[in-house]
Amino acid sequence: MSAPAYSPHLDIRNVLWLLASMLFVVAPHLLRLPYWVGIFFVVVVGWRAWISWSAIRFPPRLVVATITIAATVGTFLQYGRITGREGGVTLLVVMAALKLLEMRTQREVALSIYLGFFLVLTNFLFSQTIPLGLYLLACVWIFTGTLIGFNRMGRAASVGERLKPAAALLAQALPLMAAFFLLFPRVPGPLWALPRDTLSGRTGLSDSMTPGRISELIKSDAVAFRVRFDGPRPPYATLYWRGPVLTILDGNTWRAARAPSVFDRYAAASRPVQYEVIEEPSERNQLFALDAPAAPPRESIITSDLEIRTRRPISEPRRYTMTSWLDYKYGADENPAVLREASAYDPARNPRTVALGREWAAQSRDPREIVARAVRLFNRQFTYTLEPPPLDPRDPYDDFLFNTRRGFCEHYAGSFALLMRAAGIPARVVTGYQGGEVNPFNGEIIVRQADAHAWTEIWLRGEGWVRVDPTAAVSPLRVEEGVNAALGPIGVLPTIIAADRLGLLASVRFGWQVINGRWEQWVVGYDTERQRDFFARLGYPSVDWRTLGFWLLVATFAIGGAVTLGLLVRERPRREEASLVAWNRFCAKLAAAGLARAPHEGPLDYLARVKAAKPELAANAEEITRRYIAARYGPGASREELRDLAGRVREFRAA
Amino acid sequence: MRPVLADLRQSVSDWIFRAAIPEAPPVTLGQRRIFILPTRQGYAFALMLLLLLLASINYNLSLGFLLTFLLGSMAGVGMLHTWRNLAHLRLKPGRCEPVFAGETAAFAVTIESPSLTRFAIGLRRRGEEAVHGDVRVEEPAALAIAVPTQRRGRIRCGRLEVFTRYPIGLFHAWSYLEFDLSVTVYPRPDPTAGSPPNTGSDASEEGIPIAGDEEFNMLRAYRAGDPPRQIAWKALAREQELLTKEFSAMASSELWIDWNDARGPDVEARLSILVQWVLKAEEYGQAYGLRVPGTVVAADRGEAHRARCLETLALFEVPR
Repeated sequence: MSAPAYSPHLDIRNVLWLLASMLFVVAPHLLRLPYWVGIFFVVVVGWRAWISWSAIRFPPRLVVATITIAATVGTFLQYGRITGREGGVTLLVVMAALKLLEMRTQREVALSIYLGFFLVLTNFLFSQTIPLGLYLLACVWIFTGTLIGFNRMGRAASVGERLKPAAALLAQALPLMAAFFLLFPRVPGPLWALPRDTLSGRTGLSDSMTPGRISELIKSDAVAFRVRFDGPRPPYATLYWRGPVLTILDGNTWRAARAPSVFDRYAAASRPVQYEVIEEPSERNQLFALDAPAAPPRESIITSDLEIRTRRPISEPRRYTMTSWLDYKYGADENPAVLREASAYDPARNPRTVALGREWAAQSRDPREIVARAVRLFNRQFTYTLEPPPLDPRDPYDDFLFNTRRGFCEHYAGSFALLMRAAGIPARVVTGYQGGEVNPFNGEIIVRQADAHAWTEIWLRGEGWVRVDPTAAVSPLRVEEGVNAALGPIGVLPTIIAADRLGLLASVRFGWQVINGRWEQWVVGYDTERQRDFFARLGYPSVDWRTLGFWLLVATFAIGGAVTLGLLVRERPRREEASLVAWNRFCAKLAAAGLARAPHEGPLDYLARVKAAKPELAANAEEITRRYIAARYGPGASREELRDLAGRVREFRAA
Repeated sequence: MRPVLADLRQSVSDWIFRAAIPEAPPVTLGQRRIFILPTRQGYAFALMLLLLLLASINYNLSLGFLLTFLLGSMAGVGMLHTWRNLAHLRLKPGRCEPVFAGETAAFAVTIESPSLTRFAIGLRRRGEEAVHGDVRVEEPAALAIAVPTQRRGRIRCGRLEVFTRYPIGLFHAWSYLEFDLSVTVYPRPDPTAGSPPNTGSDASEEGIPIAGDEEFNMLRAYRAGDPPRQIAWKALAREQELLTKEFSAMASSELWIDWNDARGPDVEARLSILVQWVLKAEEYGQAYGLRVPGTVVAADRGEAHRARCLETLALFEVPR
């Protein structure tokens, strides 16, 4: 058998494998990017397959260059630039497709496969969930199989001959990967400015509230943050997760104060609760805590209106431990400028609401009495609904209070705060989340965008800021059992999630949430902080890159050594070979005594010759030969039989 | 400057890779004699890993870190696999058949794998195209390097490199073999030379048919060893028994192929004529001898004799 020289012409099967791998890795992108990118990609891949299939010519360089320019211009027209997440990925997908059209040699194949690996990474810019992670792991597997196929040097490889060694390679790489993941010193990013559109598409509370904004948010079941309490969970009705505080009433829009000062101290505080929060990336400088936070987490401050603000936007899942006071007194000595802001309103807008507030103020000097009247009003005549009728844009609170009387937390909070201001009581709107979903498996609380809520705070002389939730007056269920209970059997979530709360589906869902939580916490959210935590548990309270580097080196050598040994053990001769080793040694002993085995001589012929030449060896030689034949040509020898054979050969004396 | 550098590089490489002492086959590739370095693709892969890492850091992509480390570790494991793909192979020189000048010679090496199938094992001479083959356990594979020949003589194979890049092509593992492999290149036969002239001193009275005479005298029963081209295929087709054509030339006893009978402008031309005559003489199945200055090959016939004559001509006046 002589091997033909390897031809640089690429084997059609290898090319098809590469094209299929490319389609797999780009597929998730095609759902996200403009439709023309998908069509373009599929057409170019088809073209490349056709080139190999029919052995037709490659397109001239001029044609490829023209398409390249056209595609770049197309990307630019689509996004107005060719950088940024969508633009960059579009361009990369297009270039990867065009690279295929030029792929003629082994080296260009390698380049295409590397591009493929890079495309795997670009998927993570959009999502880092478990299913996508598994899907892309499969893509890496297929790409590795493709790479192996090309390195067979022109010989066709079967599916098994690609995927099996690829699986072995990846499986053997896993321990080292894990070590690097845990130990590689994490630098807090970004190294360069992130494109702006990375921030797009993130839902969450904002610094302003117009009627309708939160009810949009509430349709999203995206997770805002997860909470785990150190002790028992506080009562559901106290779970007010404080977010942006909106003090400025600008027309009909509530806005956050421009530059709140730093929080001073609580006049009194009791009922501490300790817990850990993992917040999903929001690209905002806001952390959420139970009302009210005791002390800010690292790299953040508590503002004078009790918000937690971070220095950098939350662009990756952030974990922080918190202590909150469930009962507190705060703000009795509030800055008069703040109180002025919290009392301002435009008397020209919502005249009937303003008149009602003034009327109440005229009838009673006691703010508590005024609050009670407002609550009674809401309690009697109002309906809690996610789909309120549209309101008059000029005087929406008038329209809501006196006509429609159907609304959602933002309507209640907004109109209540306005009523209070008209009655001369400083008031502000607080947005955040209320409640959350309790996972019965681990007691974790998952707070979703659907749990977004708005309530109010009024300022009472001598007491400071006091929380009043007018929604609770309309729909106590909202506050006591969550938004789904408040909305009745229809629920806010259009999925099966809302319908089934305790059945099999629910336990599957909660189990999945536990796994997902671990994933978010230990994989997606593994960052500088987590790394520090991990080492603190191992007994390194302060870990720097030198320690990490040292352990990384140790781990690399240990794991590398183990994998090497594992490979070498498999390299050891197989059992049949052990019998051959023994037989060769037996022959060598006889050869030393002048009875060398001729190369063509079979074991039985040789035995006959040995018996004739040295009758005194006959018994031993016969035993060894018989066992050798049984071990080597029989159905397979056991370990003991092989050991026995080797022992007999060792004791055999030819001279 | 450049040749000096090249020489220096060569001698360093010879020193490192322990050059040029032919070794007794079979050679087993132990770990000490296997070298491994990244390929150009390997360096490109490293660059890609760096880009992946930078992107992961910049965009805070934990799964990006996982991907980077998975691929990096895979490259490391791949290096071990590449090394193992070559390790413990047993290599023996194969048979190198003589060829005529202008034909392609082949240096063959037999490779055995003691364990595991070895894929894409390559073999090459310095600076030449490689051949690749798979080696399965207990199925020795032969790889042959084709060498085009121009002139007669003996070609030594010199140092061979056995290498592999399987499975991922990021590393090149190799070892050098110093087998005493050589191929004899016979002079190119001169087709215009016709048949050997009848100048033999021991020629019979009847003489020998002159050049180009393809007529045969008689058919006789086939005897084992008769050259296939002398079998009477037409007779066989007529469902007669297997017969052998006997040419009239065969009747005579001995033919001497003599240097002095070959007329040519130079040594090579004369050798080409002599080669043609040897081939013809063997074809006729007649006993023949060879006389060239300094060497006489006694008259005989058969494959071995033919090879001896052709080798004598191939190595004529070639310094050993």
